[in-house]
Amino acid sequence: MVMLFSQARGLPVVTAGEAAELGTVDALTIDASAQCISHVRLSGTRAKGHPVLAWNLVRTVGQDAVIAHSTPAAETTPTQAPVHREALGSRVLTDLGDEHGAVKDIAFDPTTGHIRTIYTTLGPIPGPRLIGLGDYALVVRAH
Amino acid sequence: MNTLVLASELTKRPVVTLEGEAVAQIKDTVFDGPAGQITGFTLNGRGLLSGPLKQSLPWPAVHALGRHAVMILGREVLAEPAAVVASGEAAGGGVLGVRVLTDEGTDAGTVLDVVVEADGRVAGFQVAAIEPPEHRRRTVFIPRGEGVAVSGQALVIPAEACRFVADDLPSFTAQVEIFRTRQAARGTGAGQEGRERTW
Repeated sequence: MVMLFSQARGLPVVTAGEAAELGTVDALTIDASAQCISHVRLSGTRAKGHPVLAWNLVRTVGQDAVIAHSTPAAETTPTQAPVHREALGSRVLTDLGDEHGAVKDIAFDPTTGHIRTIYTTLGPIPGPRLIGLGDYALVVRAH
Repeated sequence: MNTLVLASELTKRPVVTLEGEAVAQIKDTVFDGPAGQITGFTLNGRGLLSGPLKQSLPWPAVHALGRHAVMILGREVLAEPAAVVASGEAAGGGVLGVRVLTDEGTDAGTVLDVVVEADGRVAGFQVAAIEPPEHRRRTVFIPRGEGVAVSGQALVIPAEACRFVADDLPSFTAQVEIFRTRQAARGTGAGQEGRERTW
């Protein structure tokens, strides 16, 4: 089973043990070198800015909610989170320096967080080809 | 064969790391004339208020010269400006506007631009032809031969290169292929002759 980034946005994040709502999904942060989601950025909480939830605290992303392992709210502060680079809408470049449209959506494994497919305006690209995501572009291997 | 591109079109192309970060944009392409190869690039910063960078991009550090970006492994491959400029001539000051002469002494025009391949080799030159009796258009492309000589005053090309002139870049790609095949075929048999004609 796969989920799309567009489906995950806006889902409530609920802890499994206490059924406490930590907030809603604002965006998913990618670790491009691992081709994996590293953090869930939250919104709708009373805290300032965007608290983040490390992916290892996520149990699964379901159709209607993100289920997190029981966790104190203090762990959702963005202290050690990497800079969030928004993948959706990003320009796509190959490692050969040729553009390949823009990112429309991304399919991921809702349990492991692995990137399965990057859907671009010029067609899908397998997730394992992802090598970088920066301020200028999402970079994929051409072959 | 690689796609051909005019050196002037490389100006302003972004320099992007494989992590997707844009670190600079191309200012000028610097050539090693005798070797017929790009030495590297001088750089500008990105953005409206950015000026020249105190860093350059040597050709060996280029991961790929693409149609939309020059890819590098990371910011750390950028070098001192001297790494590029000292060993070559900036495109603006070097070969542009220079007189083109054949090795038989015929004036073939002046250099408008340099045609490069994605592997950094100089494929030829865009030339403003002065007397176009056999070419209807004034702007032509002339392939770079093995016997090419470049200075600040003139560019001397083999007379044979004038027979492989093209009017646009796509047809020039095919011409360069034919010209190189001929030169390679002659190269094996004409070694003796080449040595006698040393000057």
